[in-house]
Amino acid sequence: MATVKINGKEITTEDGTLILDAARQAGFEIPTFCYQARLSRLGSCRMCLVEIGGQKKLQPSCITPVLHGMEVFTENETVKSARSSMLEFLLANHPLDCPTCDKGGECELQDFVFKSGPRRSPFSEWKRRFHEKDEILSPIIVKNHNRCIHCERCARICDEVVGVSALGGIGRGAKTQETSFWNTTLDCDHCGNCIEVCPVGSFMSLPYRYKSRPWDLKEADTVCPYCATGCQITIGARNGEILRVRSKSATGINKETLCSRGRFGYHFMQSGKRLTKPMIKKGGKLIECSWDEALSAIKQRFGMGRKTAGIASARLTNEELFVFQKLVRDVFKTNNIDLDSRFANKWVTSAMVDICGFGEGGISIFDALKADTIFIIGSAISDENPITDYLIRTTASDKRKTLILAHPRRIKLNSSATISLKYKPANPGDVIKGIVNFIEKGKDKAEGDIDTAALRFKNASNITMFLGADILRLDNGVDVLKNIAVLKTLLKKAGKNINCLPLFDRCNQRGAINMGIHPLFLPGFKKTEEEGMDCGEILSAAKNGEIESLYVLGEDIVSMYPDAGFAKDAVSKVKFLVVQDTFLTETAKMADVVLPGATYAEKDGTFTNQEGRVQRVRKIISCVGDSKDDLSILDNIGGFGYKSAKDVFDDIKEEVPSYKDILFDALNNAGVLVNGQGAGVMSHESGVRSQRQEAIDDSEYPFQIITGNHLFHSGRLSQKAHVLVKLLAEPFVEISDEDAKELGLSDKEVVIVKSKEYEAALKLRMVKGSQKGVAFIPENFDSVSVNLFYKKGKGIPKVKIIKQ
Amino acid sequence: MLSTQAIENIKKAIAKYPRKKSASMDALMIAQKECGHLTEDILLEIAHLLEMPPVQLNQVAAFYTMYNKRPVGKYHIQVCTNISCSLLGSEHIFQFFSKMLGIKKGETTSDKKFTLSEVECLGSCGTAPMMQINDDYYENLTEAKIEEILKTLK
Amino acid sequence: MEPVLLKNINTPDSHRIDVYIKNGGYQALPAALKMQTDALIQMVKDSGLRGRGGAGFSTGLKWSFITKDATIPKYLCCNADEGEPGTFKDRAIIEKDPHQLIEGMIIACYAIGAHAAYIYIRGEFDFGARRLEQAISEAHQKGYLGKNILNSSFNCHIYVHRGAGAYICGEETALIESIEGKRGQPRIKPPFPAQVGLFAKPTVINNVETLACIPHIVNKGPRWFASIGPEKSPGPKIVGVSGHVKNPGLYELPMGTPLREVIFTHAGGIRDGRKFKAAIPGGVSAPMLTEKDLDTTMDFDGMAAKGTMLGSAGVIVMDDTTCIVKVAMRTMGFFRHESCGKCTPCREGTDWTYKVLHRIEHGQGKDGDVELLEKLCGNIFGRTFCPLGDGAVMALRGALKNFRNEFEYHVKKKRCMV
Ligand SMILES: Cc1cc2nc3c(=O)[nH]c(=O)nc-3n(C[C@H](O)[C@H](O)[C@H](O)COP(=O)(O)O)c2cc1C
Ligand code: SF4
Ligand code: SF4
Ligand code: SF4
Ligand code: SF4
Ligand code: FES
Ligand code: FES
Repeated sequence: MATVKINGKEITTEDGTLILDAARQAGFEIPTFCYQARLSRLGSCRMCLVEIGGQKKLQPSCITPVLHGMEVFTENETVKSARSSMLEFLLANHPLDCPTCDKGGECELQDFVFKSGPRRSPFSEWKRRFHEKDEILSPIIVKNHNRCIHCERCARICDEVVGVSALGGIGRGAKTQETSFWNTTLDCDHCGNCIEVCPVGSFMSLPYRYKSRPWDLKEADTVCPYCATGCQITIGARNGEILRVRSKSATGINKETLCSRGRFGYHFMQSGKRLTKPMIKKGGKLIECSWDEALSAIKQRFGMGRKTAGIASARLTNEELFVFQKLVRDVFKTNNIDLDSRFANKWVTSAMVDICGFGEGGISIFDALKADTIFIIGSAISDENPITDYLIRTTASDKRKTLILAHPRRIKLNSSATISLKYKPANPGDVIKGIVNFIEKGKDKAEGDIDTAALRFKNASNITMFLGADILRLDNGVDVLKNIAVLKTLLKKAGKNINCLPLFDRCNQRGAINMGIHPLFLPGFKKTEEEGMDCGEILSAAKNGEIESLYVLGEDIVSMYPDAGFAKDAVSKVKFLVVQDTFLTETAKMADVVLPGATYAEKDGTFTNQEGRVQRVRKIISCVGDSKDDLSILDNIGGFGYKSAKDVFDDIKEEVPSYKDILFDALNNAGVLVNGQGAGVMSHESGVRSQRQEAIDDSEYPFQIITGNHLFHSGRLSQKAHVLVKLLAEPFVEISDEDAKELGLSDKEVVIVKSKEYEAALKLRMVKGSQKGVAFIPENFDSVSVNLFYKKGKGIPKVKIIKQ
Repeated sequence: MLSTQAIENIKKAIAKYPRKKSASMDALMIAQKECGHLTEDILLEIAHLLEMPPVQLNQVAAFYTMYNKRPVGKYHIQVCTNISCSLLGSEHIFQFFSKMLGIKKGETTSDKKFTLSEVECLGSCGTAPMMQINDDYYENLTEAKIEEILKTLK
Repeated sequence: MEPVLLKNINTPDSHRIDVYIKNGGYQALPAALKMQTDALIQMVKDSGLRGRGGAGFSTGLKWSFITKDATIPKYLCCNADEGEPGTFKDRAIIEKDPHQLIEGMIIACYAIGAHAAYIYIRGEFDFGARRLEQAISEAHQKGYLGKNILNSSFNCHIYVHRGAGAYICGEETALIESIEGKRGQPRIKPPFPAQVGLFAKPTVINNVETLACIPHIVNKGPRWFASIGPEKSPGPKIVGVSGHVKNPGLYELPMGTPLREVIFTHAGGIRDGRKFKAAIPGGVSAPMLTEKDLDTTMDFDGMAAKGTMLGSAGVIVMDDTTCIVKVAMRTMGFFRHESCGKCTPCREGTDWTYKVLHRIEHGQGKDGDVELLEKLCGNIFGRTFCPLGDGAVMALRGALKNFRNEFEYHVKKKRCMV
């Protein structure tokens, strides 16, 4: 510990604390430009210079640690005049076009000049100008080089956090421009984090350009609706129209970062294709109707008992899902309820719940990342959970840590991995078995990557495993998870501390499981008396005419279920189909009653992210047309009498013990981790059954398909967000460069992907370092719906790729 | 596209260092020697060879003054105009060139033979005024000497 | 004084290894390899050798900061960036007597436990770079470089890294960045290169002339070296004289030779019968001195006492026809061009100051401009990231201090005084 005096005030902080932070602790604000807590230290803007007793030169407080006994002055005349002179330098060549700058009103330069800047500039020379018109750098970035103050936050965040390294200072001295490789259109992750961190109006958002002045925006903090990382976002709306989404440097686990989906994926809410009125099928056609008509039709016609079922999306709030399961169980009287989550069979989901210890409470990602060894399997995490990827990348920059990344595809995070393991999509278990084998046999000489990974496990003391949603997709997912459980036990026995976290692709997947959207357990993991059917079973039953009423909440089964033909056939056999959604999806088109629901910005509630962190979803705009928030729709049908999300939350606290201590009204931007008061209810030893997935290689069809979300998309929702569509409008097929070379195919050429079931023409992308014999197709597009390749019961589809 | 010889030379440069990126400066110079000036495509090719992000290579190419981003003439005349040379008449020397070749600072003659530049101290102040043409130094310059030199540059 | 470093530069084929050996070269290396490294470092400390790159830091002390842990790779970098205007000494060693440098480097590597060294040579020195490559390959052939040097267990490789036009790469951390294949922008210190240097390993950076002194110290002993010149900054020193003197060129003199003797005795005084006006003693970053300071001695402490610095000992002499405003403008133009752009005060300050000086020089000065210049100097000085920005200010302050009247004249009369 070090005791220092700052402006006469004595404070004690940890050794190595930066003067800047110590001063902030003592209540003195020091202006900064180049300093950004999670970025490498630069110390270049010189805004934060302070005087240290006994030192002639002023020192940058953002890179200088405190020393015991140090005396620091942050407010004396010397310091103030240095500060003001830095601003004077920065303003000298600054265009001062604040009235037409999008940043005006929330510009750090403007703010600091207002607080401590020169009132008059003695600069009377010609100003440097790089260009007259702003430059469009990408579909989301518009750039004004004249306003840049060279803090390099943009380039550092892109390199160190996003892992793309698309930006850099080009040039030297005063002529430097922070820009892309050749100052031409960026082909990058389009995350917009460079825009977010730019303190001035140099990097600007193209979708937000000239849309509003910051002071005219109404803002609300809420949670991203896409993946289960659970990023905090701040939505800005004016006159009921959402104009932007941003992140805040001190808020949420994501801090200043978001991915392209989170930042630019909001337009679906204002898409002209939203459902605005209930619809009812008459004479084989869906026609608009009143709420009364729609709801009474459901109340009258929806059946009861074993021949009914409900399937829900993990994008809904905890409160909505809780009420939904209540509706299905208490009113429809059935345990046939499931999530759409990768259409996992019920045993896989429960095994995942077990191995990740959902019952034992949430694990903060930051605690998880304190591990010395981090293992990720079953997730193209850079695409699926981009901000989790950022957090792991920054952690892994500490070379003392080991990052083992196992996935068939080579993804962005591989460049930060200590060891990269590959496997065929059907067999992630092989990797685990290899590791277990090495450890069990007490080997200590590594031959090959799996052994090296095993050796790292052996030498680790604190391990975190991230288990991806790919595993849920596998019919043999249970076996894979069993293998992982064996490894976990083995390592635990060896005295190692182990945490397991899931990587989910839907914002409230963990919450949905907590809420009992599962055929085997009720809210809080209490076992059901009678086993219900999971999604696949429900559809099979439907196909045989054994499901008469089906309630689908926010999911497009026909487009997403792996085997489109089967799903469509099954759904068509349902006598009474209710679909509650925000768009007229393929499934909705088949419904007898369609209910227009709300998007996340139109309602209150909570999401529980993959860590088990409960966060508040806040209403910022009203529902479109006659659509209603999903909670009130469900409540109306069930006749429960809930008044608000908070009302429901009180019941959740009763039934889900791990939510007991959470105060709905007190939930702030940090969220609250669920606690461990529900432990031990599920046990994978009890009921877990495996459904083997045959993975016989077929020389005629040498590729195994792997699917999942693309970085710019999520499910089919993002297709309705036009900026995301601009970033990627069509699916493609991605294979390793080795395979491409062998087949004589080249990047970007259109190829035919053919399985026994289906064939499609897709653009080829080749990636160096992916597993051979694997073809990735994103699951996000109606144009080539990847589920058409699947055949129920046949496991992972095998395809061949041929020249067109 | 770089020649196989150039790629060989770049690989030799890579061998000098524990990290590939270190060879970026050598690689850019090797490419420039071959191609005259550096283009987007050349940089992409080198970045690929060195396994580094293209923008970081361009940062290098744009920071150092000896890399040409635009075509230069067959003979790049670089007159030092820093203090020691300036005290002994480098401005005059520069003007003399300018008049003889009919071009101004930074320009290239229409026959693409000469480019005229002003440069900072070349570490030859004891023999000022001086200049560098391509790789070679020419010192203790006078008008007569310049005329002689120009004659030898075909 | 008998020349030491420049002794052989006029010998025919002085750059060849045979000639070097014939004149007593590569005798220090075997002697050094027989010494304990601690003793070797002590020897360099005892010699009093201070870095010839400008800062004048004790070379022995710098070497002693390097960890003795043999499992950690270490590097030596020879700073041959020679970019300070007015400086042309290292080039002579490189082109005319490169083995002197190479022998010094091998010994330095041995002393600090480095097995690889890089010579960072400015890109414009094409001839010099080729000379070095040739010398390195000669040394390899003779077994002075490579594996098991002179049958010892010591291995050492030297590589030439060519710059490409950036003065800032002479700054040691920018030099490291440049060898790592990046822009030459200085790094935060601490950690100092001795702890975290090239490729994040402990690194020593020494100037060419510094390293060239090493074989002589080993051969003739530290006491011999320490006996030359003043006690606190001893040794032979190469002084380069340029500008308005009769005999510009390099002179190897004992440290502490008075400036007057350098200019008037060795360099033959002012040319064309003109009068002495001012001299910059150590490259353009060093504030200029006038007539009254001519007796200042050319050594680190002597120059510091007069508010200037020995720097690279590149003396630029100006006669009475010289317009100081123009010199100041040109010098600021240099720093503006060479500012790496990292920190605000240097990037913006040199640009702004240059524009003001340019205006004054071109007859568009305004009342208050001189005060503005002084204010700008104050706003830059001591607040920049690296010493380049300070150098720019020191140069201008030197001119303003001695010739303020010339600046004022320019502003008022819109023309030059001389
Ligand atoms: C802007 C700047 C430029 C420099 N240029 C050189 C140079 O060209 N050559 C050199 O030897 N040292 C130069 N130095 C000094 C080096 O940073 C470093 O102190 C020196 O190389 C150390 O070697 P020495 O201890 O042998 O003097 C420069 C320093 C600065 C701040
Ligand atoms: S949008 Fe993201 S990936 Fe693209 S340049 Fe900006 S920070 Fe980098
Ligand atoms: S563009 Fe913005 S973030 Fe990037 S260096 Fe300039 S001011 Fe900083
Ligand atoms: S990482 Fe996930 S939660 Fe975060 S912004 Fe992206 S999609 Fe949204
Ligand atoms: S003072 Fe600042 S801008 Fe100038 S060279 Fe040093 S680091 Fe670069
Ligand atoms: S914030 Fe400290 S130097 Fe920029
Ligand atoms: S000033 Fe021209 S070579 Fe040094």
